[in-house]
Amino acid sequence: MTHAPAVVVRDLHVRFGDVEAVAGVDLTAEAGQATALLGRNGAGKSTTMKVLAGVVPPTAGEVTVAGHDAATDALGVKRAVGYCPDVGGLVPRATPWEHLQLSARLRRMPDWEDRGRDLLERFELGDVAHRVVGGFSHGMSRRLSVVLAALHEPAVLLLDEPFDGVDPLGVDATLEVVADARARGACVLLSTHLRDLALEACGEAVVLRGGNRVAAMQAGELTGEAYRALLD
Amino acid sequence: MRSSIDGWLDAARDTGHLVAFRARTVRRRRASAFGVAVVLALTAAFAIAPSGFDVRSVGAPAVEQALTSVQGNLGAAFAGFLLLAVSSAMGSGGGRELLSRSEAAVHPVGPVTEHLGALLLAPVNLAWLVQLWGLLAVTALVAPAGGLLGAQVVVLAWVLAATALGQAVGWAVEGVRRSPHGVVVVRVVGGAVLAALAGLHLAGVLGPLVRSLPTTWLAETAQTPRWPLAVVVLLVLAAAAVVVGARPAAWALGLPPREELRVQSGVHEARHAPEPRWTSPERALLRRLDRDSVWRSVGMRRGLLVLGLGPGLVALVAGLEWGSVMVLPGLTASGAALLFGVNAWCLDGRGMVWRETLPVAAGDVFDVRALVVAECMALVSGVTVVLALLRNGLPPLVVGVAVLSCWLVVVVQVLAIVMTWSVRSPYAVDLSSPRATPAPHAAMAGYAGRLSLVTTLTALLFTGLAVVPWAWVPAVAALPFLAWSGRRLVRARRCWLAADERARVVLTVAAV
Repeated sequence: MTHAPAVVVRDLHVRFGDVEAVAGVDLTAEAGQATALLGRNGAGKSTTMKVLAGVVPPTAGEVTVAGHDAATDALGVKRAVGYCPDVGGLVPRATPWEHLQLSARLRRMPDWEDRGRDLLERFELGDVAHRVVGGFSHGMSRRLSVVLAALHEPAVLLLDEPFDGVDPLGVDATLEVVADARARGACVLLSTHLRDLALEACGEAVVLRGGNRVAAMQAGELTGEAYRALLD
Repeated sequence: MRSSIDGWLDAARDTGHLVAFRARTVRRRRASAFGVAVVLALTAAFAIAPSGFDVRSVGAPAVEQALTSVQGNLGAAFAGFLLLAVSSAMGSGGGRELLSRSEAAVHPVGPVTEHLGALLLAPVNLAWLVQLWGLLAVTALVAPAGGLLGAQVVVLAWVLAATALGQAVGWAVEGVRRSPHGVVVVRVVGGAVLAALAGLHLAGVLGPLVRSLPTTWLAETAQTPRWPLAVVVLLVLAAAAVVVGARPAAWALGLPPREELRVQSGVHEARHAPEPRWTSPERALLRRLDRDSVWRSVGMRRGLLVLGLGPGLVALVAGLEWGSVMVLPGLTASGAALLFGVNAWCLDGRGMVWRETLPVAAGDVFDVRALVVAECMALVSGVTVVLALLRNGLPPLVVGVAVLSCWLVVVVQVLAIVMTWSVRSPYAVDLSSPRATPAPHAAMAGYAGRLSLVTTLTALLFTGLAVVPWAWVPAVAALPFLAWSGRRLVRARRCWLAADERARVVLTVAAV
């Protein structure tokens, strides 16, 4: 018996006015695997992630996430996905606990408190669980975004620049979340500029350039020189 | 060695650079130019048009009496403008900022530049504009033939001087607020001042006291051939206030913003998820999050307090009749909408992207946000109506129906307008500072002018309807207004429900 891939992207185009942010990306990601999304600034990684998270509708192309069509069933996509956006991603005058409570309630999670508390502790945010996030440092905000993405054990975990400005302990905790997700059979897509961490976390790698996919390979094959050659 | 004049010239130059930078970022230039033209045209109309009415020729004793009362209270109105300038500057943490704190952090922007910027932005305020128009209109009404120009020049000079004085006081209060225990000091002193005013009013001495202020001399002199003397005095006063105001500005801006920092690191213990009787738990939770976002913001909390109490107290102290009160709910509701409602999605800031990943129907998100905006508007305008009720007692039936109809109409009207703007023209703003505005200043000026015009015209209509002998007339007249605004609100909601439109709003507000 064959399983359908958790994420299927075919000829994805995203246009904002005159700007084509994504110009024909193809991507397939399997359940139980972690795939790194690499590329220079403006390559289309974050926009592709936003489409997969149901935040931005595709202008053209086919996008299926955990069996839900992103163009017609954004709500289904949102239920299946846990997303850590590349920037911010937190309501400035709410506390971490209030973020978790809202996310859990909207996903009909009856017993979420223990998991929420555990994740906050793992990311060393337990002491600030009831403090307004407006005063958080960048690294703390990133860590909380990963916690929010992982809370409901989503079928598809999307992490956009989760290591940006995060201390080594936070990086370890994030790698642990990725490993846990893979172990329970979730599909992980991780976008980052840090190749070494991407290789540590992921088995597959996809390189985007100018809104297009230019390479897809085993992460181990993506040496520093090969990566640079793909970026130029 | 550099003189202080060089410092001021540098600050003026820097202010010019900031204004030019701001002007270059205006998106809809034609609409902005049109908005400015409308505001200037309205100002000219208020300054000139009332002089064309010969009120005394009407011959009615009531009108005659009202005119005498207005003339006698012009000095008090001048004092009221100063009070407004002070409270506006205090409410906005010293004054509005040309560049937001995070944007300005990397630039060498000095306190004198901040001070000049705040002075330039003082007119971008609904209450400031309305008070200016009111002063110009009343002066035009009571100025003697041939004395209109001089009287209006005095009004403009007073507005300049009062704005500069208010700004200086505003910075000083902000300095105190930023000192240790300063928040408590400001609250206690503010409460004591309010209590003293209430006491003076109850003792019947507030009116005579206000009328004995130098502003009465100013109002009288403005209508005589000695008006140039008043203008010179006021311009000297304005220049002195601008220069002196730089001192408290430098002091205040050199201190950490304690109240904001306290709020930003505020602790709020976990609460149980709401279990509402009338709505779904999801909507109740969203509503709680949105309400918290409003009331945990220093600027919005302070703004709602000032808007709720200020106009109502004016109605109470100045003894405004129901006819004059009618205009206040629209203006206070507009003021509340200008705190964040004109860009309602900015409440989530960058968290907007995360909010959009939550599995909740887009319609619910729109409905809850609109409800929270409406709550804020209804609250502040409701306080005004209640305070007017305390002053005037229960109105006759037709007046009561007119007031309630007018209140409902203006709240729905403003809600429909601002939710449309929020979807059509979102902006990325950081509202953590009370000096921040929810949209660029040019847009705010346009918003303020438009809302005040619409709500004032609506209020004037209902003021007219309050004198008809049939109580059902104002209620029936409200229906087309409600239908039109309701249609507009539905249209804005439909626009929000379109995935690509919503994505545009989300990405703009979150600045990603």
